[in-house]
Amino acid sequence: MEFLQLAINGIALGAAYALVALGFVLILNATGAVNFAQGDLVAAGGFLAVALAGFLPVPGLLLLPLVVILMAGLGLAVSAAAYWPLRDRPPVAVFISTIALGIVIQNGLNGLFGAEPRAAPPLFSGGHLEFFGLVIARQSLAIMGVAALLIGGVQLLLKHTQLGRRLRATAQDREVAAALGVPVGAMVALTFALAAALAGVAGLLLANQFFITPTHGTDFIVKAYIAVVIGGWGRVGGALAGAMLVALFETVVAAWTDYAVATGLLYAALLTILVFRPQGLFGEAEGRRA
Amino acid sequence: MTARNPVRAWLGRDINVLLLAGAIGLAAWPFFAGDAYSLRLLTVAGIYALAAIGYQFVFGHAGALSLAQGAFFGFGAYVAGILSVRMGAGFEVTFPAAIAASTVLAALVALPVLRLQSHYFALATLGIGQVVLLVAVNWESVTGGANGIPNVPALSLLGATVGRGWPMLLLVWSLVAIGALIARRLTGGLTGAALRLMREQPMAAEAAGIDIRGVRFAAFLLSALYGGAAGALQVHTVRVVSPEVLEFPVMVMLLAIAVIGGRTSVAGAILGAVLLVHLPEWFRPLERYYLMAYGLALLAMIVAAPWGLIGLLRHVRQRWLPEPEPPPPVAGPMPVGRPPARLEITGLTRRFGGIRAVDGIDLVVTPGESVGIVGANGSGKTTLLNMIAGAEKPDSGRIGWAQADIAGLPPYRIARAGIARTFQTLKLVDGTTALDNVAAASWHEFGGPGRDAARAAAMALLQKLDLAETAWKPCGALPPGLRRRVEIARALIGGPALLLLDEPAAGLTAAERDSLAGTLAALNNDGTTVVVVEHDLAFLEKFVARIVCLDQGRIIADGAPADVRADPGVVAAWLGQPLDEGGGHG
Repeated sequence: MEFLQLAINGIALGAAYALVALGFVLILNATGAVNFAQGDLVAAGGFLAVALAGFLPVPGLLLLPLVVILMAGLGLAVSAAAYWPLRDRPPVAVFISTIALGIVIQNGLNGLFGAEPRAAPPLFSGGHLEFFGLVIARQSLAIMGVAALLIGGVQLLLKHTQLGRRLRATAQDREVAAALGVPVGAMVALTFALAAALAGVAGLLLANQFFITPTHGTDFIVKAYIAVVIGGWGRVGGALAGAMLVALFETVVAAWTDYAVATGLLYAALLTILVFRPQGLFGEAEGRRA
Repeated sequence: MTARNPVRAWLGRDINVLLLAGAIGLAAWPFFAGDAYSLRLLTVAGIYALAAIGYQFVFGHAGALSLAQGAFFGFGAYVAGILSVRMGAGFEVTFPAAIAASTVLAALVALPVLRLQSHYFALATLGIGQVVLLVAVNWESVTGGANGIPNVPALSLLGATVGRGWPMLLLVWSLVAIGALIARRLTGGLTGAALRLMREQPMAAEAAGIDIRGVRFAAFLLSALYGGAAGALQVHTVRVVSPEVLEFPVMVMLLAIAVIGGRTSVAGAILGAVLLVHLPEWFRPLERYYLMAYGLALLAMIVAAPWGLIGLLRHVRQRWLPEPEPPPPVAGPMPVGRPPARLEITGLTRRFGGIRAVDGIDLVVTPGESVGIVGANGSGKTTLLNMIAGAEKPDSGRIGWAQADIAGLPPYRIARAGIARTFQTLKLVDGTTALDNVAAASWHEFGGPGRDAARAAAMALLQKLDLAETAWKPCGALPPGLRRRVEIARALIGGPALLLLDEPAAGLTAAERDSLAGTLAALNNDGTTVVVVEHDLAFLEKFVARIVCLDQGRIIADGAPADVRADPGVVAAWLGQPLDEGGGHG
């Protein structure tokens, strides 16, 4: 029973991480580069929700569309500042430029909101539900629901719309896509907008139960990065599974041992996977080797 | 050049005037701003400079984005702090212990981590830092946990206390100077050119006998060594050791120093460290937002001047005050040829998925022969060549060379055994001169200090291949025909007994092809065995005595050019197809 309880908490956490990792892997596929600011975008989304809640005292669900729109705008700004000028350089240049941009976001947040932990409003309301002796926070359920809807929505967008086909063509091979008339620059910018929006939503979702501080971003990026490596570089489904695995380490394994041991074990697992199966548990997406 | 006055000549070179002025300015600074706080800031800048010089080995010279330098720095700080507080050890113990601890940590993690490709390497090195941080926070009895260890005593060296202010400043900067000199010695001269070849054209570097993994290992260990040394100094300067020293901002600071100052120049590390340590002071009016300015500065540099301030200064100097091209170096003796050997391939096979790209090939090439390998696209020509050179591993079969089986050996060992190669798509360092492109390939023979000898040998080859005028021209500016020849010159600098060429005539004009055929014929006459993969039969017929035709990974004809051309199997499998000049894969 305790395991089930922990597992549900872990899945809720993993659902939020999955949004972050999904954004990470979309940008990775579109540009070949790591967006190291992805974690700071989570923090930005969390603080955005905190700030909006100050003006509009409504449930988080109603803030969600605003967060999505504003974060998408921030994503466009990230692509313009940290990707566009470096598009013809080796991917490591973008890695470093997004580290720099992450510092800017992190310290901007610190300047605006201070270093203290803040909480965003819950999606619907606080409180718990009980079934069969399991106590489940409403927010956990809401997180799972919103994340599932968003991930499903992104899949629909990618698979079944003209825009999605163009985004995928860009991710597959930028040069060929450009030759076929796909506006590659715009597609990459849109990918950044989408990734930032996903990160922002994750921020809103997590900033209720777990609070948020400006320096939290580093934790989120490390987790997303690990999720994508474990799941197989460039694999969308793998990244989602990887995110779940990371979250389960943090909840289930941490409850059995303690948080530090669980984190240590996660890194040990990561290194083991890198050494013996560098293509990740589910294999690399083709031609995506970093 | 009227180089009567060597001092003036030195000052006129490169950006030496600016570097000298900067060094004098830096030395004079503490005399003018002599308050305790300025001295302390400059001391801290020196510590970061030392850690950043170390970071340049792996990030700048080896070109690998390591995110573990902060961990090596912090680990050194913890080791020195713990020994000093808990055991009362002096600097004569804590300093070498911190260096040893960080270097051993690097050696332990290097084995799994150094094999990884760039983004995996970055994450794995980031993970090392996180694990060290985790241990520091949780092993309270030793590390003091989240609060760390306060009251680290002042640095004491053999019983004498080195106090705050001037004594510490002088000690730190003396060590920076020593560290800088060692780093320059290790990465300067011919080594600099070889490292650049390794970063920009790793396959070509391996083919020139450079053991990239070995070099990366050494660079990683050196970076940890410097990091540990800087950590030991840091703990005695700030007098406390806490998990903060292991956190990501320290790593980002070192990365920013290397990017903003310059990735491969020692002066860049020092300039970057002095700038970034003082940045908070200068941006103080921005209050809480000053760190934002630091992120923006890093972003601006990576976008506008990726080679850092030192690289920018060099660029400005070459642009607005170009140095006159020096006279070409005097050509030395030609490289000594390796003893000739017989290439004996038996049963060589390589599969890609279900396809046998090379399917049980037997081939003998006797010393002094010149052999053309032809065949349609996909017939296995380039795969065969790559297996001989070590760039691809065969699934089965034997490649006999000088009484040994070289099948499956890494390319650098095959290169050292006297087999050189060129590439279908040129792999030259475009920003480097033709002379140094060739000279860099002899690094494993001449070593870092042997640059003049290597250049003399390179010059001899450039002359032989009619490239003497290109010596000081950057390769990127040369026409394709000349670039091909530079690559051949580079392949020849080790005096190979066997030269493998992969479609050397691709993309050349008819006149360039004729001249290249003449060059290759002359090389062959001098005793070098030549094996050429080519599409252009007419080009081959000018200088080879034997042609081998492949089809679907097997040899379908082997003999004199005229016989092969007339062979009905060859006509059906290859010549019957429209000839694809250049572009294809063999």
